[in-house]
Amino acid sequence: MPESTTPTVRLTIDGITVKVPKGTLVIEAARRIGVMIPHFCYHPKLKPDANCRMCLVEIEKMPKLQTACSTPVDEGMSVRTATTVVNDAHRSVLEFILANHPLDCPVCDQGGKCDLQDFSHQYTATSRFVETKRIFQKEYFSPLIETQMNRCVQCLRCVRYCDEVMDVKALAPVGRGTMTEIKHFGPHPLNCEFCGGCVQICPVGAITSRLSMYEYRPWMLKRADTICGYCGDGCQMTVQTKDQELIEVNSAHGAGRNNGDLCARGFFGFHAASHPDRLTHPLIRRNGALVQTTWEEALEYVANRVSELKDMHGGQGFGGLISGRCTNEELYVFQKFMRGAIGTNNIDSSARYGHVNSLHAMRLVQGTHRWTVTFDDVLDADVLVLVGTNITETNPITGLKVKEAVKKRRATLITIESLEPVIDTMSNIANLSHHHFRIPPSEMQNGILGLLKAVIEENLILPDISQRYPAYVKAVTTALRAFSWQDLHRATGIEPDSFIQAAKVLAAGRRVIVLTGQVLLRSERGYAGSLTLLDLLMLTGKLDQPGCGFAPLAEENNDQGAVEMGAIAEFLPGACFADNAADRERFMHLWKRDLPLTVGASLVDMLHRAQAGSLKAMFIVGENPVASLPAQIRAEDSLRKLDLLVCQELFLTETAALAHVVLPAASSMEKNGTFTNTEGHVQAVRPSIEPIGESRPDWEVFAALSILLGMPMEYAESKDILKEIRGAISGYTSLGPTPLPPKVDRTAMDRYLSQGYQPDLTTRYRLIAPQSRPDGTLQMGFGQSLFHSGKLSTRSKGLLQLEGNGRLRINPVDAARFALMDGDRVRLCSTSGEMTTEIKIMERVPQGTAWFPDHFGQAAVGLFECAIDPITHVPSFRTATVSMMKVA
Amino acid sequence: MPRHELILLKNMSEPGYTGSLVDYEKTGGYQALRKTLGKIAPADVTAMVRKSGLRGRGGAGFPTGVKWGFLPKDYQGPRYLCCNADESEPGTFKDRQLMERDPHQVLEGIVLSCYAIGAETAFIYIRGEMVLGSKILEHAIAEARAAGYIGKNILGTGLHADVWVHRGAGAYICGEETALLESLEGKRGLPRTKPPFPATHGLYNKPTVVNNVETLANLPHIMSRGPEWFAAIGSPPKSTGTRVFCVSGHVKRPGNYEVPMGVTVRELVYEHAGGMRSDKPIKAFIPGGASAPFLTPAHLDVKLDFESVAAAGSMLGSGGVTVMEEGTSMVWAALRLMEFFYHESCGKCSPCREGSAWLVQTMRRILAKRGRMEDLETLLDLCKNIAGRTICAFGDAEVAPIQSTLKYWRQEYVDLVNEAEAANLIRLEPAGRP
Amino acid sequence: MKLSEKYRDEIADILSRYPVKRSALIPLLYVAQRDQGYVTESAMLEIAKLLRLTPPQVYETITFYTMFNLKPMGKFHLQVCKSLMCALVGSDTLLGWINAKIGIAPGETTADGLFSLSTVECLAACGTGPMMMVNDDYYEQLTEDKLDRILSDLRSTGTSPLKSGPFMWPEPLRSTDSVIG
Repeated sequence: MPESTTPTVRLTIDGITVKVPKGTLVIEAARRIGVMIPHFCYHPKLKPDANCRMCLVEIEKMPKLQTACSTPVDEGMSVRTATTVVNDAHRSVLEFILANHPLDCPVCDQGGKCDLQDFSHQYTATSRFVETKRIFQKEYFSPLIETQMNRCVQCLRCVRYCDEVMDVKALAPVGRGTMTEIKHFGPHPLNCEFCGGCVQICPVGAITSRLSMYEYRPWMLKRADTICGYCGDGCQMTVQTKDQELIEVNSAHGAGRNNGDLCARGFFGFHAASHPDRLTHPLIRRNGALVQTTWEEALEYVANRVSELKDMHGGQGFGGLISGRCTNEELYVFQKFMRGAIGTNNIDSSARYGHVNSLHAMRLVQGTHRWTVTFDDVLDADVLVLVGTNITETNPITGLKVKEAVKKRRATLITIESLEPVIDTMSNIANLSHHHFRIPPSEMQNGILGLLKAVIEENLILPDISQRYPAYVKAVTTALRAFSWQDLHRATGIEPDSFIQAAKVLAAGRRVIVLTGQVLLRSERGYAGSLTLLDLLMLTGKLDQPGCGFAPLAEENNDQGAVEMGAIAEFLPGACFADNAADRERFMHLWKRDLPLTVGASLVDMLHRAQAGSLKAMFIVGENPVASLPAQIRAEDSLRKLDLLVCQELFLTETAALAHVVLPAASSMEKNGTFTNTEGHVQAVRPSIEPIGESRPDWEVFAALSILLGMPMEYAESKDILKEIRGAISGYTSLGPTPLPPKVDRTAMDRYLSQGYQPDLTTRYRLIAPQSRPDGTLQMGFGQSLFHSGKLSTRSKGLLQLEGNGRLRINPVDAARFALMDGDRVRLCSTSGEMTTEIKIMERVPQGTAWFPDHFGQAAVGLFECAIDPITHVPSFRTATVSMMKVA
Repeated sequence: MPRHELILLKNMSEPGYTGSLVDYEKTGGYQALRKTLGKIAPADVTAMVRKSGLRGRGGAGFPTGVKWGFLPKDYQGPRYLCCNADESEPGTFKDRQLMERDPHQVLEGIVLSCYAIGAETAFIYIRGEMVLGSKILEHAIAEARAAGYIGKNILGTGLHADVWVHRGAGAYICGEETALLESLEGKRGLPRTKPPFPATHGLYNKPTVVNNVETLANLPHIMSRGPEWFAAIGSPPKSTGTRVFCVSGHVKRPGNYEVPMGVTVRELVYEHAGGMRSDKPIKAFIPGGASAPFLTPAHLDVKLDFESVAAAGSMLGSGGVTVMEEGTSMVWAALRLMEFFYHESCGKCSPCREGSAWLVQTMRRILAKRGRMEDLETLLDLCKNIAGRTICAFGDAEVAPIQSTLKYWRQEYVDLVNEAEAANLIRLEPAGRP
Repeated sequence: MKLSEKYRDEIADILSRYPVKRSALIPLLYVAQRDQGYVTESAMLEIAKLLRLTPPQVYETITFYTMFNLKPMGKFHLQVCKSLMCALVGSDTLLGWINAKIGIAPGETTADGLFSLSTVECLAACGTGPMMMVNDDYYEQLTEDKLDRILSDLRSTGTSPLKSGPFMWPEPLRSTDSVIG
């Protein structure tokens, strides 16, 4: 944390003395003492524009009224906000703003939460305006966002937000004077990130959401503050409902880790829970077909089969797979059920798909499995390094923190991303980068090695490290000298000097944070890359410094929680190794149960065992391995061989369709619990609607089964589970922001630097030879799109309007090379399979590469080969070389 | 008839003077530059300009030397000079003449100013419609560059000053200095909130000076003949030098007349502009462009200097003197100007954006004999609520025509309303509705 | 053909003048307008790309200024100043003449696509009104006769010798009859 050395100044507002930091605006100083100065254009997130003139105040010694939103406080200043002169000014400005306003409050969705209404009420504004009102022609704006420009007060908050905060610049104030209106580009409908920020920030009803148009009045709605279920950023949002109907989502300024900002998924994606295809009743397989049944029958059947199979095959015949979308409470109960009631460590979760790579690396190097920094540290960083994050699309709100750090707080940004820095309809973090390294997804490691080599060659190593750990430094140096700058240049096409410049900036930084994401973590080098990035931070002496750290971004909303709850073979709750005797002892005592000793199988191992016949039964909660894993794993075939497959699901997925019993699960909109976000903040999930149909929270199912199996885990409500978790895991003692992030464990670091680094150092420091791709082929990646998250979001009508199907993104030069136009159909062939899809031309995709959104990936997944990391067991299948041919 | 020495218009008043570099040099052009660059310290140039009493000729009349002095002394990065050639104030057409007829006089002033403030780049922001003017300037810049007066290593002094012509594209507000900077940055010409001022955060957020064409054209003369000489012209101490007054309206010989500050309107109209076109008496005049309140024949002997005109309740502004003869409808005249302001309001501040539209509509209604008596109070109240409540001075300017005509010729408004009421042309509308 | 190919050198020259690319926006929009008589959507997109702007950023700028045409205009764009100073000396009459001669009101274009008429605000020719601008040229102190000649010149030769040269008014007098001499 930077020390606060900002001097304070003392001023009086309406006679009340207030002390605030220098540079504070009068409007903010007033707010501190509860004086609300009316305003439209002012917003704490935005630079002052002082255009609405509503916040005029009297300041002693100033001849004219001043705008409180743009005037910084001064020592001894005396401000008056409630004099007759000020009041008259407010009233008159309001009269001007109302002059052309249509006063169509009865049909305006903003009615009841409108600043213009509220101020009009406050100032009992009457208007002498008897002239003709300005009328803008109504124009179609976009599928999800509606504009009604006659209501606009031209405060430009939307335009400024879109530029200053989002860095998208999709909104334009068009025309001049009183005819200024907000548009996109000419007659074209809006094409942007659809973060909903303009809807949220509009003080009147000029920009509203079409999803909830004419559906409600604010006072009819019930509100629940909860956490978004789409990504690891863990944004707080307010879900508004009318009866059982999901109406709208928003997030108040200052709320949550997201500070009120949302992305398209959070703002427009809330309908997934109420999709008509939701499972509403338990299903049981009879005569080969799944038919509706009762909970009693379903649970009894499952309990009986579990008992039988357990008697025959023991606990090792079972496996469990759970989604990182579940609450901590569910994840905890699930693993406790598998370990305590069934007796197996064969447990895995979606964190295995990549997040686990970074956690193992952190465990090894710094002795923690969590960020040692927070989002606030990201804002305060002076150097940020992004490696394979594609942050705008995968973790958009963490992306906003990076944008703010760079744009407003002047941090230096180093990016190793598979992105071209181009301007288009979405923001592009490479555009803000000071040192951008464009590297294809499968070769991210080469970019990291480039920075490391520069650190070695330019002698940017912290002397203390060289002195205390000469063997480590020597090993790293030797490994990095095994290739030359020329080799690196050949492999990356990047000049050594670029790496050197960036490395110097990094080494000189005082608060350096490395963020990495799916592109690296889900690749074959996910673990190696994480270790190497930690090496980079260590060699430059940053890792254990305050405000510095390694920050892997979780894809799913509770990937971090899944690991911390122990929903993963190798870890007991608290990320304690399952084979650690002391920890095992502790949990046996806590749970009053014997715990299995046998090392657990991970996701792919379980499927292999099922295939081989040694695994007989599986519980799969919210996961869909049939559609998610490459054909090579033969997931479907394996699952078909099981004697018992129980799926708890929202929808009848490809996997659930194979089950013997399918149990309808409640979505996160329908239950209580907690999620742990990517930075380790534990946040409350609250229900906004009743569970759909007969669906139930997943923990209830396991609690009920445990009772039927005679090993009861009894909880009355989700809170009881949290109470138990708090007793078991440090860091969960209080909800909300943890007081302090964990610190790097010096002993662990010492252990790593002394010998822990040894096993695979030379392999991971080997340069990846750039794949020589034959003509007519592309390196295809598989990853997340901004408008979707997993498969869940493809049930959301809002998001489907933004992106309704998967299209292969390719560079225009490649499109020209293959004589393709936007939307053309192509056949893609790899050594593993083939698929047909449409293409979408995007300049940000580097030449020679292409990527496909994994949300629509059932066919695409067949193109990839799967590699399993020998240490972390992460299956990676994210890149493939494909040939492309146009088809009719 | 008094004799006035011409300064700015001197060269071009010589028959046959083309404004070429050769012609300009023949009259002693660029001697000030030779005398100054590298020989007088920049700070001393600023001091001399301050001493001359030169005040901005664009409208606000801010002392030029003082403005230069606001630039940060120790700032290492680039600084900019912007020559404000966005001459758009109705009634004003002097800069156009200075640029098209004697471009080198302006350029020499620009280079001198660059030298004084330490700028190596100057942009001449010329209004988009002056295509000919921009071509003449481009040509003159090329001549001056070839002769070593502009560009790298000027006259072998090792000093640089590049000058570029940048055309606006049709927006009066870009004459406001911060709007000009926004426009020069390729954005909408919206005035910025101040502080910070351009002197510290100007073009590209760098220290910047914005000076009007006529202001800059005075510099070579001040440097050649000394600040004392300049300070003695006009009405010292506060209004020194000459002004090029642009006389328009109902006079016999409209046009640009350069006279020392402090002459009266009467002298300007009757001795220079040849008197009134139909020999009717003067009914009204505007002393300093459309933003200046109207004055009456009672003010004909007001001296045209900054203080005297201000004391008379108007402003010297840009030097555009528009004269109207007896018989001109003042409501009509005010509406014409109001329409101009409505058209040109950038729309940033609510009072100006909404107020200009409101005022225009009400004025049109009154002129069309559909006004009501309470409209007059509403007009005044709206004017009061716009003035002083906006970011830039446009808000103050736009209310000037209505406020001043209502002040001096209220009866004309009343007559129109009475006619309306007599003809029963107005429909009663509920007043005071929200 | 793309502007960047057709006007390669000119565009390079414009870009070289500014330390920040966006400053070149208005100059490049002029290049585009000169090319087609108005700024086409594809030109805006191309310019956006050249300057690393989003299309809405180009659009917000272009719509602020009155001199850019977003639609095709007549071959000759007559722009009559209607501000007070010209109005005092007959700009409304001038509009009447134009209407009588070519049959269009402000905002209209003749059927043959030859003339478009607009009214504009002050063009800094207040001492020489009534006046109008036709494409890039000023025509001042207009009388009905003069207007006839200008329109006929424009039709026949595309320009007229009556357009203003370097401006000075009153014009320099021989020293013997100088009013101030």
